[in-house]
Amino acid sequence: MCESCGCQGQGSFKKEIGVIEVNQRLLAANDAQAEFNRHYIEKLGALSINLISSPGSGKTTLLEKTIDALAGELRIGVIEGDIETERDADRIRARGIPVVQLTTGGACHLDAHIVHKGIRTLETQLDRTGLDLLFIENVGNLVCPVSFKLGEHLRAVLLSVPEGSDKPAKYPKAFMTSQVFLITKTDLVPYFDFSMEEAEREATRLNPGLEKFRLSSVTGENFDAWVGYLRNLLKKYRNILKD
Amino acid sequence: MHELSLAQNLISQVLNLAREHQAKKVLRVSVEIGPFSGVVVDSFRFGYEVLSQEHGETRGSVLEIREPEQSFRCFSCGHVFNGKKMGDPCPDCKEGTLVAWGGDDIILLSVEME
Ligand SMILES: Nc1nc2c(ncn2[C@@H]2O[C@H](COP(=O)(O)OP(=O)(O)OP(=O)(O)O)[C@@H](O)[C@H]2O)c(=O)[nH]1
Ligand SMILES: [Mg+2]
Ligand SMILES: [Zn+2]
Repeated sequence: MCESCGCQGQGSFKKEIGVIEVNQRLLAANDAQAEFNRHYIEKLGALSINLISSPGSGKTTLLEKTIDALAGELRIGVIEGDIETERDADRIRARGIPVVQLTTGGACHLDAHIVHKGIRTLETQLDRTGLDLLFIENVGNLVCPVSFKLGEHLRAVLLSVPEGSDKPAKYPKAFMTSQVFLITKTDLVPYFDFSMEEAEREATRLNPGLEKFRLSSVTGENFDAWVGYLRNLLKKYRNILKD
Repeated sequence: MHELSLAQNLISQVLNLAREHQAKKVLRVSVEIGPFSGVVVDSFRFGYEVLSQEHGETRGSVLEIREPEQSFRCFSCGHVFNGKKMGDPCPDCKEGTLVAWGGDDIILLSVEME
């Protein structure tokens, strides 16, 4: 600073910066990382699916049953997202499947950066042949995970019968940004006031292109259709990757 | 939602810009919050007001929020409408239904600094 008058020594031509136009989405950095993850997953040869639902809708159980149904046929890997604990990963590990547990330490969603770490760790458990399906089980939450792309090819939203058939109307964004809608725990329909028609109608209103399944991990209802859908999808995906 | 972490995200981006342009003071930050973003605008503003106090550059800056109206696009003919509801039949082709169109994010529009 100037000793005699305290000026900043910049003369009177003080640098005016003014208004900077930015026009950038806040999530741009996450989206860019997600795009990178998607390419990375494609190098592993895998089709990736991001599972989103409220806590306890049956995501891990769905994974267990899907793994059983495709055992010996497709190579499956799983990334588990939870706020705390290794419990979900332990359940998957018990089936001899490559799995990584990500704990967010409080955050209500996975983001593309943490998933990238998960992919790199999962990679160390794979042999040279790679993977067919990579499931990413998001933190149980029907709101926050929706905004964060992870690098998935497909997003599946689960709604379990005890939660009520009004949820698509109340949490629209989860249904608008997914390609697959799974109603889970259909074995509980006799005990709850749940209308399949209402849930599917509301979800279709939000997103007419949604693929829909009604599943029970207890009775195995419609698992053939679900697993068939995955097989078919993987076939299409492989054809696209070849081109 | 995680409005506080969104506000934190915004402030980091603004601070980066201020440093890049060697600005001492951020005067005004303009953002657009998409009508389908699910962001609670008051919580977001509150988060900004609290967190912006933590940095000399952003202290006292004004957050200007634009909230455009929801618009909907016909699933079948692709025309876009305002002032409608999700799932309404399309007023043009009468065939398709209207689905949410755009505006599900926060966009940093501009930053005024000196
Ligand atoms: N009746 C019935 N119960 C189920 C079904 N699927 C899961 N459950 C039960 O629902 C509870 C929660 O299942 P999880 O698979 O752990 O749910 P999640 O979505 O992974 O839970 P978080 O990871 O904590 O969000 C468990 O007690 C499951 O046994 C089903 O199809 N029918
Ligand atoms: Mg789980
Ligand atoms: Zn139309």
